[in-house]
Amino acid sequence: MDQLLNNIGFGLDVALNPANLLYCFVGTLLGTMIGVLPGLGPVATISVLLPLTFSLEPQAAMIMLAGIYYGAQYGGSTTAILINLPGESSSVITALDGYQMARQGRAGAALATAGISSFLAGTVATVIIAVAAPPLAEVALKFGPADYCALMLFGLVTAVVLANGSVLKAIGMILLGLLLGCIGIDVNSSVPRYTFGIPEFGDGIEFAIIAMGIFGIGETLANLSRSSEERGYIRSYDRLMPSLADLKAMLPPALRGTALGSTLGVLPGGGPVLAAFSAYSLEKKISKTPDRFGRGAIEGVAAPEAANNAAAQTSFIPLLTLGFPSSAVMALMIGALMMQGIHPGPELLTKNPALFWGLIASMWVGNLMLIVLNLPLVGMWAKLLTVPYRYLYPAILAVTCIGVYSINKNWFDVMVAGVFGLLGFVFYRLRCEPAPLLLGFILGPMIEENLRRTLLITKGDYSVFVTRPISLTFLLLTVALLVVTFLPSIRTAREKAFQE
Amino acid sequence: MTMNRRNFLAAAAASMAAAPAFAQSGATNWPNQPIRMIVPFAPGGASDFTARLIQPGLSEFLKQNVVVENRGGAAGNLGMDAAARAAPDGYTVFLGNVGTLAINPSMFKDLTVKPERDFQPVSLVVTTPGLFIAHPSFPPNNVKEFIDYVKKQPPGAINFASPGSGSLNRLEMENFAREAGLQMTHIPYKGGAGPAVTDVLAGHVPTMFVTISSAIQHVRSGRLKAYGITTFERSPQLPDVPTMSEQGFNKKGSSSWQGLCVPAKTPRPIVEKLHAGIQHALSDATVRKRLEDGGVYPMNSKSSEEFATFMKEETERWGEIIRLTGAQPD
Repeated sequence: MDQLLNNIGFGLDVALNPANLLYCFVGTLLGTMIGVLPGLGPVATISVLLPLTFSLEPQAAMIMLAGIYYGAQYGGSTTAILINLPGESSSVITALDGYQMARQGRAGAALATAGISSFLAGTVATVIIAVAAPPLAEVALKFGPADYCALMLFGLVTAVVLANGSVLKAIGMILLGLLLGCIGIDVNSSVPRYTFGIPEFGDGIEFAIIAMGIFGIGETLANLSRSSEERGYIRSYDRLMPSLADLKAMLPPALRGTALGSTLGVLPGGGPVLAAFSAYSLEKKISKTPDRFGRGAIEGVAAPEAANNAAAQTSFIPLLTLGFPSSAVMALMIGALMMQGIHPGPELLTKNPALFWGLIASMWVGNLMLIVLNLPLVGMWAKLLTVPYRYLYPAILAVTCIGVYSINKNWFDVMVAGVFGLLGFVFYRLRCEPAPLLLGFILGPMIEENLRRTLLITKGDYSVFVTRPISLTFLLLTVALLVVTFLPSIRTAREKAFQE
Repeated sequence: MTMNRRNFLAAAAASMAAAPAFAQSGATNWPNQPIRMIVPFAPGGASDFTARLIQPGLSEFLKQNVVVENRGGAAGNLGMDAAARAAPDGYTVFLGNVGTLAINPSMFKDLTVKPERDFQPVSLVVTTPGLFIAHPSFPPNNVKEFIDYVKKQPPGAINFASPGSGSLNRLEMENFAREAGLQMTHIPYKGGAGPAVTDVLAGHVPTMFVTISSAIQHVRSGRLKAYGITTFERSPQLPDVPTMSEQGFNKKGSSSWQGLCVPAKTPRPIVEKLHAGIQHALSDATVRKRLEDGGVYPMNSKSSEEFATFMKEETERWGEIIRLTGAQPD
């Protein structure tokens, strides 16, 4: 315990050094800004800034780059809440209830909830990294392909729970998401699937393009199809800060979201997006009033925001303790360290303690900066909503197109986003919710990849799924969830049948 | 299509410059605008690492900004295609590697780019040895024991990982298996060497070939063991690891290399200036140290012809290995 306090004190010493403090501020500010801009994500920003970090001290470089990453998780929720346009992939889920809150005139409360939940999660995640990083990284290594497959399958089933309306439509959307996920060159055989000979489809469609098409463009089309009274655009908003009742309502979901996010963040392939989806599903499942979700439930903002921020931070654990990247952003961080002549691995902690503890301490300092930075801005952001829609929508469309273009600098992507925009409008008309589609799209390829890898390793023996404890646990949870979800409806159906 | 576009670009550029023979006159005052260096892989990988390290030195020598542009996708083919279609005016350069320039032409039958036809080689930039690694719990402790162990198992019982179906590291293992008369099962990964190495670290797959930079820290810390190194000489970073050729395999030695190319028909003076620029960038002591620390060796060609010959040999050699091992992705 003493040792831990010493370490954290040492870390704070490094993080509070004026130069590092400045880089932390620059990183979190940049992160917030790119988070607000849809399309432009941490991967693009960090890769642009990589050459600049070459001349910095390793600590300063990592502190700044890390700030960009978790800062983006903060910023991404802003546009999601205000105009239903997720600035980051991980804030797709925040848009579901956050935007509804904004439409009810509670934009301030929603933004503050997102900020406070993120801060809470950031604080807890910092402590988790400081206390338990090495053992957690070992746990991540225990996950083999079979276990990932079972975990993802569990995630897919939770997508059904995500749906507000008809279960059948949700299943349809999941299947559509799975099919879209099949697009691209198959890893094992290199056979192109559904690419229609278009090389841009070779690596599949970028998640951000689908999300921005459906949400950014689709939502705008849907809004324009409504009359301005129907649109119910918010001309006024209530108090900016959440009430005491709001705070009480957000705390438990934020804590659950933090726990879930911290866990999923450590696993390669998990990350903030999956964490946000899972946290939302969990809240909806355990809520006494699941009907409120999708209609402006504060839990639906607090939980996923806490989860994505916690996951963004704990995804540093495998990198810092074992030197393996759990996501594309972490691979970039390894690149940044290698350019500094540092090779992250188990010896990082002993060889570069200033880097290790300084980075961890800076995460907490950075989170504090973010909340100080973001809370006063809530008022300004909320005012944005009083701008008449006829001025707002061309701006939304333009920002969406620029954002999509910035991902690969390819106009083709903008066309694809346009197609998904139309599709999003059709979904709106058919009352099909896009969230299950997106989850199917994320999880489908992961399930397939891990399933085929598992079967290649075992030479086609499926028993590995029930003999490995981690895999078995998730499969049992999946079955349990299915039973809980469908049993009541089966019972009512049977009761109806008996009455007739 | 390629020619049309190139003609169009050249015509557009010529009309803007109002100079009748743009391509020739452009060479004398080249470079008078920023140069983009296309890296056909995502940021953070080995190619990106090299590009970012040589970028400052190259910019300094050419007195013009060199901008790294990552165009990842389709095993590097998307970026290579973009570079091959660019105007041959010296403002687009391509940092290719053994995969894009020498393996993909034999691996992907419908590849539209033919590196030998569409590119003018400039210089080799770096080479990176491959490392034959295994999880510490895997019984064999050297190449000889490895062969005996695999032969005692049923054919295909032992798995090996790779960063992808068309990757150099896969071919290195397939070639070793062919030379040693082994049958193993290939488990491909995607997203660079990271995910595959992680599964070997965890012991889910026992062994693989991987570039030294992705595994060196784990070999040093004892979380992985190394059976051999693919280059002709031992690595100063891991002097105890014997070469594969010492052990009677991969006699010619192999490595993951990266080299600079420009679109074919780029004027000769520009090629020579770029060649000198690479030499300059690689002479910087800090850059050399950073590269070498990462297990990457700076290695510029004496002339662009030397690199052209090297590229040709590598293309033939990997094409031959792909034919012999039947390591086609489809």
